[in-house]
Amino acid sequence: MNWTWFHRLGSPPHIYRLAGGLLPWFAWPATLVISAGLYAGLVLAPPDYQQGDGFRIIYVHAPSAWLSLMIYTLMASAAAIGLIWRIKVAHAAAAAAAPIGAWFTAVALITGMLWGKPMWGTYWEWDPRLTAELLLLFLYLGYMGLRSAIEDLQRADRSSAVLAIVGVVNVPIIRYSVEWWNSLHQAPSVMKLGRASMPASMLTPLLMMLLGFTLLFGVLMLLRLRAEILRRERSASWLRDVLAQSIRQ
Amino acid sequence: MNDFFAMGGYAGFVWPAYGITFAVVILNIWLALRALRVAKLEARRRLAVNEDSR
Repeated sequence: MNWTWFHRLGSPPHIYRLAGGLLPWFAWPATLVISAGLYAGLVLAPPDYQQGDGFRIIYVHAPSAWLSLMIYTLMASAAAIGLIWRIKVAHAAAAAAAPIGAWFTAVALITGMLWGKPMWGTYWEWDPRLTAELLLLFLYLGYMGLRSAIEDLQRADRSSAVLAIVGVVNVPIIRYSVEWWNSLHQAPSVMKLGRASMPASMLTPLLMMLLGFTLLFGVLMLLRLRAEILRRERSASWLRDVLAQSIRQ
Repeated sequence: MNDFFAMGGYAGFVWPAYGITFAVVILNIWLALRALRVAKLEARRRLAVNEDSR
């Protein structure tokens, strides 16, 4: 079996070029899918029989919450790969993902509060899911803070990777919190044992927004990964080629 | 059209939620583009220093 593709995955110049090439394949679909999802969610979907038009917050809240968990899992996996196999690009990927994850965790919390006020009568409750999601934000911020506090890049990579890996236990806690505890937060709408608990007219816009936000994360991740790879590369000859190209662009 | 903006009485919650999400998305695109621009500038500076010291 030919393993060159596997080795190229760890090669910074290859990943840098690959990330640049992939960018339009994420950017255009993200724009289209999010636009269509917004129209379907705000205009085409009928109001909920209990929550009226207030339920439409789900179309920005659930995709942000999904990203907050997906990005953390990705970040911890990349950090673990970097730690175990000493792959620089994996550490770069973890570092690139963290700020994006932190932002979408904040959006999930804020849009959740704006949903909670009219439906529960309060912006905030120390409910298991809400508390664990707030802890997730602190994990992201702790990871970023630890990285920026350590001058030496290799030490920063290794120390922050340990924090990211330890924090990953929080992800299943958030995911299953509404099933483990008698929580204030409503049960999942999409992935409830194979059957969705929403009609297609409400579910389709949600799936579109979930896909659109995932593609948007792809765009942000590719841009930030390129930046991280450049930051780590010292006087390599490919760096000269890349920079010469970007002048001409 | 007014019905659409009224959001069945939930306008004060729905629109801020969408507005904040939209603002964060735009901000993140800008931050990512800026990170790449800064990284390119710094890399160019590093290369220039290396070539001078030769």
